[in-house]
Amino acid sequence: MVKRRKKDLASTDYVISNFAGPYVKWILVVFSLVSVIFPLYWLTISAFKLEQDYRAYPPVFFPSQLTLDSFIEVFTKNQLMNNLINSATISVVTTVITLLIGSMAAYAVQRGPLGKKAKNFFGLWFMVQKMYPAIATAIPVYLVMRSLKLIDTLLAMIIMNTSFNLPLVIWLMMGFFEQVPYELEESAMLDGSGFTHRFFNIILPITKPGLVASAILTFTATWNEFLFAVILSINKSKTLPVVIAGFITDRGLAWGPMAASALVTLVPVVILTLLVQKDFVKGMAMGAVKG
Amino acid sequence: MKLQKRRSDKFACWAFLTPTLIFLGITALFPLLYSFYLSFFRLKLNLPNQAPTFVGLENYLKMFTDSMLHVSTWNTIVFACISVALEVVLGLMVAMVICSDSMWSRVATSIFMIPMIMAPVAIGTMWRMMLDASTGVINYFLSFFGVDPVQWLADPTMAKISVLLVNVWQLTPWVTVICAAGLKALPQDCIQAALVDGATPRQIFWKIVLPLIKPVLVIVVMMRFTDAFKVFDTIYVMTNGGPGTATEMLPNFIYKQGLKYYDAGYAAALAIVFVLVMALITLFFLNLRKKEEDNVW
Repeated sequence: MVKRRKKDLASTDYVISNFAGPYVKWILVVFSLVSVIFPLYWLTISAFKLEQDYRAYPPVFFPSQLTLDSFIEVFTKNQLMNNLINSATISVVTTVITLLIGSMAAYAVQRGPLGKKAKNFFGLWFMVQKMYPAIATAIPVYLVMRSLKLIDTLLAMIIMNTSFNLPLVIWLMMGFFEQVPYELEESAMLDGSGFTHRFFNIILPITKPGLVASAILTFTATWNEFLFAVILSINKSKTLPVVIAGFITDRGLAWGPMAASALVTLVPVVILTLLVQKDFVKGMAMGAVKG
Repeated sequence: MKLQKRRSDKFACWAFLTPTLIFLGITALFPLLYSFYLSFFRLKLNLPNQAPTFVGLENYLKMFTDSMLHVSTWNTIVFACISVALEVVLGLMVAMVICSDSMWSRVATSIFMIPMIMAPVAIGTMWRMMLDASTGVINYFLSFFGVDPVQWLADPTMAKISVLLVNVWQLTPWVTVICAAGLKALPQDCIQAALVDGATPRQIFWKIVLPLIKPVLVIVVMMRFTDAFKVFDTIYVMTNGGPGTATEMLPNFIYKQGLKYYDAGYAAALAIVFVLVMALITLFFLNLRKKEEDNVW
């Protein structure tokens, strides 16, 4: 009787998570967690292994000795610091520019005194732009950057990354602005506050979660961007992903240094994402629903 | 006074739009038009001083006879269909089993975030290390079950499976996180009512949860499908299209035509066709989605 009662009161979450019974549930949970965690453990441990350990077969699961050799090697021999600074500069500048001009455009389209036709046109344009494959512009962008002598500069990378992320940020921010009640703006308008003033002093402060989500998505996408980084850089403007890819093509078995640079690439975005996980998930879910 | 205000608002509004319009015009629209123009020329990137020669539709006609292109198109379609199917089924299942407000489920969600924020290049190299035929840890695990070393990346069929599985590893968590957000927003009363009526969890899944979560799934499938056509980074570091043409996908193929064989005209023509096809797929999906849109959350 007691058991029966408990079942009646089962929470929705409980019912959903037991859709195929508790065995399937726990097998799935364990399997999915192990398959995500083990590769990450392996990457991390490989970065700290001695050279004879990361080349060893059978593989060493719990190395008796850990070392920073691989990190020292990539930071001295490969000058990973330069690449790290490149990645950080490109990502931060891109994020700031994208957020500023993207949210301005989003506000103009969502709340500006534009006609319905113009609104729909811009909305559709930004949506299509978001879907458009980066490779499609690779050749012409390469040619233009070459004739402008911008190959191997940070500026070229910032310009292209801003272009990729603008449509997504505009879409996200349009969604957030949509939720701002009209009354708020109307009362501000009656007080004589103009378009620019309303945007910066009233609307932006209350859509901060949207800005955080957009910032983190833009930062991560730029930090990880590879296609244009490999096309537009030769040496000076190389970013971290280009260096990681270089390990594969240049030297076959340098797993230690390769794992170390991968870890250096991974850790900053993991920390950033975990710090603002809620906003990140919300932004991603909204990005998915919105376009 | 009011009219004056309106006019200044209108001006400010366009001023807000201008930077974006200029930016996208120069960095997205212009390259596309330039691509279109280039697609009618023969132009070698490694010979910058040579003037492009007009060849009419030659670059477009070449597509019909280029068997490499046909292989990579087929590879891309197969890859997109299988990877999206696996990711959506697995992603939804995992999203359901971690559906809970408890601590472990929040920790699990945080762990699932890592593959999707990790640089795809790092994912590719990480798996390349683990799938290494002679020293890789995956083959070591398989040896416990008496499996001989598998040539994961050197054998054409295994290479196809490898890039597919790595894509599943990378993007199933994305599906999971989106679906989990969708599950959290399901109306509780439907499920509670079904419980009172004595429905089993299985019935609740098929009759209530699945129909309610369908709009989210439709969107996830669309996004994953269009994204799967753009797969580049992991392929580039894992196999670079090899062995032979086993894992050659369209983005990698276009990249090679332009920046390895320096055939800018052909690459531009390919890019134009690729964009058109992607635009058609997107429009098809957008129409499909309009029907679902009102049901979302």
